Amino acid sequence: MKDLFALACRQLGRKKLRVFLIVLGIAIGVAAVIGVTSLGEGIRVQAVEQIKASHDLTTVAVSAGVEQGTGSVTLITDSKLKAIEAEKHVLFVAPFVKDAFVTQNNTYLAVTGVSPDYRRVQGHGLELAEGRWFDKGEGEGSNEVVLGYGVAKRLALVEGLEVGDEFAVKIRLYDEYGGGTGGEGQGQEGQGWGGHPKDKPAVFKIVGRLKSSADEHDNQVFVAIARAKELDEKEAYDGVFVKVDDPAFAGSVRARVEGLGLSAHSAQDVIDEVNRLMLAVTVVLGFFSGISLVVGALMVVNTMIISVYERTKEIGLSKALGASDSDILKMFLAECVIIGVLGGILGDLLGLCFAWLIDAVGKPFLVSALGGGGGAGGGGELGLGAGLQAGSITAVTPEILAVGFAFSLVLSVVSGLYPARRAARLNPLDALRQI
Amino acid sequence: MIIETRGLRKYYWLGREKVAALDGVNLGVEAGEFVSIVGPSGSGKSTLLNVLGCLDAPTGGAVFLDGEQVDYKNKRSLVALRRKVVGFVFQTFNLLPTLNAVENVVYPMIFNTREKKKGEGRGKRKGEGRSESRSEGRSESRSESRSERRAKARRLLERVGLGSRVEHLPSELSGGEQQRIAVARALANDPKIILADEPTGNLDSRTGAKILELLKRLNDEEGKTVVMVTHDLESAKRTGKVVEILDGRISDGRLDGRLQ
Repeated sequence: MKDLFALACRQLGRKKLRVFLIVLGIAIGVAAVIGVTSLGEGIRVQAVEQIKASHDLTTVAVSAGVEQGTGSVTLITDSKLKAIEAEKHVLFVAPFVKDAFVTQNNTYLAVTGVSPDYRRVQGHGLELAEGRWFDKGEGEGSNEVVLGYGVAKRLALVEGLEVGDEFAVKIRLYDEYGGGTGGEGQGQEGQGWGGHPKDKPAVFKIVGRLKSSADEHDNQVFVAIARAKELDEKEAYDGVFVKVDDPAFAGSVRARVEGLGLSAHSAQDVIDEVNRLMLAVTVVLGFFSGISLVVGALMVVNTMIISVYERTKEIGLSKALGASDSDILKMFLAECVIIGVLGGILGDLLGLCFAWLIDAVGKPFLVSALGGGGGAGGGGELGLGAGLQAGSITAVTPEILAVGFAFSLVLSVVSGLYPARRAARLNPLDALRQI
Repeated sequence: MIIETRGLRKYYWLGREKVAALDGVNLGVEAGEFVSIVGPSGSGKSTLLNVLGCLDAPTGGAVFLDGEQVDYKNKRSLVALRRKVVGFVFQTFNLLPTLNAVENVVYPMIFNTREKKKGEGRGKRKGEGRSESRSEGRSESRSESRSERRAKARRLLERVGLGSRVEHLPSELSGGEQQRIAVARALANDPKIILADEPTGNLDSRTGAKILELLKRLNDEEGKTVVMVTHDLESAKRTGKVVEILDGRISDGRLDGRLQ
């Protein structure tokens, strides 16, 4: 075998320019595939990193389950809550209830009834700007509320309410048809078709207000969960955040929660979605850049066929000297292997350069297209534009390089099969007579 | 007899015309003989050599090499015969231009050593059949390393009188020297028979005579059976036996007058 490769090196050495061109042809194809794949991989990694940074991967959000088809609803009752809490790897559960209040001046307020654990789930937000949190919501302090950043601003402006003030509200209760989530306060006004809503008066005291968390919590009024349940006369919770001890177990906990008939989501869903999308994009792009590899393969076929013609006499001679068909086949395939290896190495190197080039030239363009501010726009939702500025948009992994190398090798050998078989089948005498 | 042909026929079709290159050749060559085959162009002498060398299949008749009938339909046994039993020397030397003298001599050994291992494996699996190649494989079961092969090639080159210029490419050597390399290459796998197709045809008479001397020496000293095709009667005269071929048949004695 060694002798065959030594011989093949000799043969290729005889026509360096031709070999160089063919190797370059394959290498460019490999580099194109590597470049495109690494771009897809780079953007994917960036997006996933962004999601990981802004989402807590150890949290599973659980909501009431709706069975497909029948539409029957599984509510989050106390027993379900206990069942979830008992699951392995669950640190704690943070249920919440959504309600809607209306002030005397007909300002609608979205209300979330929360437990102290709820704040622990929302790691980043829910920091007090002023005042204090309420306690468990029983007895004396049961009518205490904390205002989200936006609500506090609005109430201060419209109603002149500050921390420490008390205010009266009506809690609008619907029958079972209009019940359920009261999260979107305004949205419920027109839904009273199930019967007449009844209003229940209550007085609350503002004990604190929050800093901006730049999410939906800015528009919420927070009240103790026990009090919220008592007020809206509901049996079930509107949702639960389940805290898991390790991101690795989020998936299994999620699956078990779903086993209880509830629906569950985690940031991993978004990551999976991004992974799926980027895989599809990368495969499609890779396919088109792979066309250049096909061109490279055709070059190998062409060159090897010419080589067989040129060396017909040599093949005949080899056979006269005792070479079998398979010897000749292996001789030519050895040359293809060498071409493939060289193409793979050069392709990997060019691919790295190409990826670097995409990073250097393509990144500014991509960042501006996605909205570098990171606040608005499609990319901004994931903070992609902002994230891109920090990192590289291409990621050349060892796997990508290995696949590129394997592509080159397999393609060269497969392309060489036909010419090599042709060479192997030559009649020795006819071949020898050839000039 | 180391070479024997019985009623050997070989027909070609040239358009619609049937040409008989060999038309019933009965030839016998004893081991250790130096036989020259002479005849005008197109008489079929080269065809005979190619058939003996297992490069060409006859249309009819039988060939026995080293006591065994050649099965021209069995590619594998043909390859084995080319490897072990015969060695070729060509008119145009046919050296590989990219390889130097030693490497050219090593070249046929590469195929040979690799076949040995495989040949034995196959023989066992397929059981009986192909007794030729199996016995061949066994008779030489030692496998040669690279350095051994090179050393052997150097010895062979020395034997043909080319000890000093063994690292030169063929293009750097004279025609006579190139033909010496070709002879050494023919000896690479220790064949019993050397088949030479006009070995002096591309050389001037003095150099040609030296190559002929070399072949004679191999015949005398090492007992190699040599079958040489030539149309040079002077060369033919110096061999032990002359066979004349005319129109695909062995013609007896017509040249005798001129040869004596």
